[in-house]
Amino acid sequence: MNRLTTLLSGIFLVFLTSWLGLVAYPATRLGRLAPVPDPDSGGSFPPVYGGQAVAGQGIYAREGCVSCHSQQVRQRSVTGSDLARGWGVRPSVARDYLRDSTAFLGSSRIGQDLSNIGIRQTDAKALLLHLYDPSAVSPGSTMPSYRYLFEVRKIQGQRSYEALDLSGPDAPKPGYEVVPTAEARNLVAYLLSLRHDYPLPEAPVKKDGAK
Amino acid sequence: MTAHVPSRHLAADSSVRLPVILLFGNAVHWLVVASLLSLIVSVKLVAPGFLDGIPFLTYGRLAPAARDLMLYGWASQAAIGGGLWLMAGLCGVSLGGVVVRTVVTGAIVLWNLAVLLGTLALLAGYGTGVEWLEYPHWASAMLLLAFLLIGIPVLLLFDRRVAGHAGVAQWYLVAGFCCFPWVYGTGNLLLVWKPLQASAQGPLQSWYCGGLTALWFLPVAVAALYALIPRNLGLPLHRRELATLGFWSLLFLGGWSGIGRLIGGPVPAWMSSVGVVSGILFLIPVTIIAINLYGTMRRGTPAMEGMAAHRFLKAGLGLLLALGILGALASMPGISGALNLTGFTEAGFQLGILGAVSFPLFALLYGSLPGILARECWVPRLTDRHFALTLTGLGLLVVSLLLGGVFTGLALDDSTVTFLNIASYTYPFHVLECVAWLILLVASLLVGANLTVALAAGYLFPKTRP
Repeated sequence: MNRLTTLLSGIFLVFLTSWLGLVAYPATRLGRLAPVPDPDSGGSFPPVYGGQAVAGQGIYAREGCVSCHSQQVRQRSVTGSDLARGWGVRPSVARDYLRDSTAFLGSSRIGQDLSNIGIRQTDAKALLLHLYDPSAVSPGSTMPSYRYLFEVRKIQGQRSYEALDLSGPDAPKPGYEVVPTAEARNLVAYLLSLRHDYPLPEAPVKKDGAK
Repeated sequence: MTAHVPSRHLAADSSVRLPVILLFGNAVHWLVVASLLSLIVSVKLVAPGFLDGIPFLTYGRLAPAARDLMLYGWASQAAIGGGLWLMAGLCGVSLGGVVVRTVVTGAIVLWNLAVLLGTLALLAGYGTGVEWLEYPHWASAMLLLAFLLIGIPVLLLFDRRVAGHAGVAQWYLVAGFCCFPWVYGTGNLLLVWKPLQASAQGPLQSWYCGGLTALWFLPVAVAALYALIPRNLGLPLHRRELATLGFWSLLFLGGWSGIGRLIGGPVPAWMSSVGVVSGILFLIPVTIIAINLYGTMRRGTPAMEGMAAHRFLKAGLGLLLALGILGALASMPGISGALNLTGFTEAGFQLGILGAVSFPLFALLYGSLPGILARECWVPRLTDRHFALTLTGLGLLVVSLLLGGVFTGLALDDSTVTFLNIASYTYPFHVLECVAWLILLVASLLVGANLTVALAAGYLFPKTRP
């Protein structure tokens, strides 16, 4: 191993093994997974994101939500707790991420897993409130506030239907209201669309809510 | 092969003086900033109201900014600086003429500019959301270019070296400097610049994190151990014949080690199995390194002038062993299911970057500068305190993360306990993490002060020689 070329060739070959297995293989195999047609609706699984949800995914990325929230429900053979906790109706598989721009698998669960937040929470307004002041909705939560995705404005005529129902210290001055910006609405649209409860050939869903 | 007894001094040629000083100076500066940001991040987990609602200081932007500064501002830069100094010293050749030196100096400026702008962009809301690769595409392209401009001259040093067989340290240096551009380039190309369909991204993300640690940081750190420990003791390497197996097994398993993060995750089953196996087999290279170096250390005492560096080397070797054991434990199926994605994962990361990697890098810093400045430049008291505080802070950080992780993992298993409740169990551990980061911040300020004094003394009293 005295010559640079010998050493480099050895390093190249050794490096190549993991590169082939963990880069080239996923790129050529997992990267070509296709959606599965849904005979009932004529659509496909995983479903296509709406425009707002696509924009919301960008907000999710830039705010670093993945620092605290994973998006992966692990196999029962490794841990039963992800499914038992109701974080999903079945384990996540590679195909679930097919419509995403980035797979936010995460490496830390300071907050709960969000792969199926759209099943647990279907009310956009509740999610907006949570983003505005997490500790008001779930006391003791360490989640930061995303107040800067909202706008405080003077009520013009009638109160907006979008205005948050805030009370206590969060309540705006009389005559003012707190409304979500487009960014907040997009983020919530993305969160609501996170639901992997459809069946895939490699990940069937048992009927009747059985886990 | 005859036993090769190294001389106690590693004298790098004066051509590397400016680059090494610049690299270490900037690296230590980023270490201070990264420690400060990490402290703020840890406080936010205890008191979420702290600096809350400010977009550029929100947890999700600040935490990756702090980690990336640790990875690219501090550790990578110190590894480049230390690697350059080691390679030049071990090969006994000059970096090159004015052109090469100017290119290298320019590349250092480019690297730091990329780190600065990348961090600012991330804080301003232009982060990619890809873990460890949050810098926007232009900043990562700048980093890669800067690395190539420094890394290629470093590799050429090896090619031009004064005859003699290459030592174990040089293999590791060549490996590290080859792997960084490949790992960083692949990661950015397929996750940031031209992302793969996301169904393929999971394995790649974990490969990147594992590869950056095991194929870039660890090889340079291990090179420092192999180069400096026998040298400080004036002894040949104990059981050198094992080192070859250690080297190739570290490279081979290192590339696969990252997939352990995704055991049970949305990847093909064979990948989960490989994650388990590679995590456990990683004990092979770690054990060989320990046999080589503990065996050498047992037989001698270091020369006085090498003492500052030697302490860091000794601790670095111990931390590397701890990292190997923790990694093997973490990949056991039962344990990974319960403890992956808790503080346990973070503990492994910090033990690696701040421990097994940073301690040998500190040894390179303390070992290189006296030769480069041609004088004893360190304030012994600052060095002592820096060592003691870094070890204390790191120990407290890793232990509190581990314990917090084990608590969380056990509690998560009982689905009647709500998630919020579990989060509240970890409160005391988060408080301990804040204390740990405060200690680490003070430690980083001490090494910063020590370096400032060391460099300033040269300008204030240019003719002082011991």
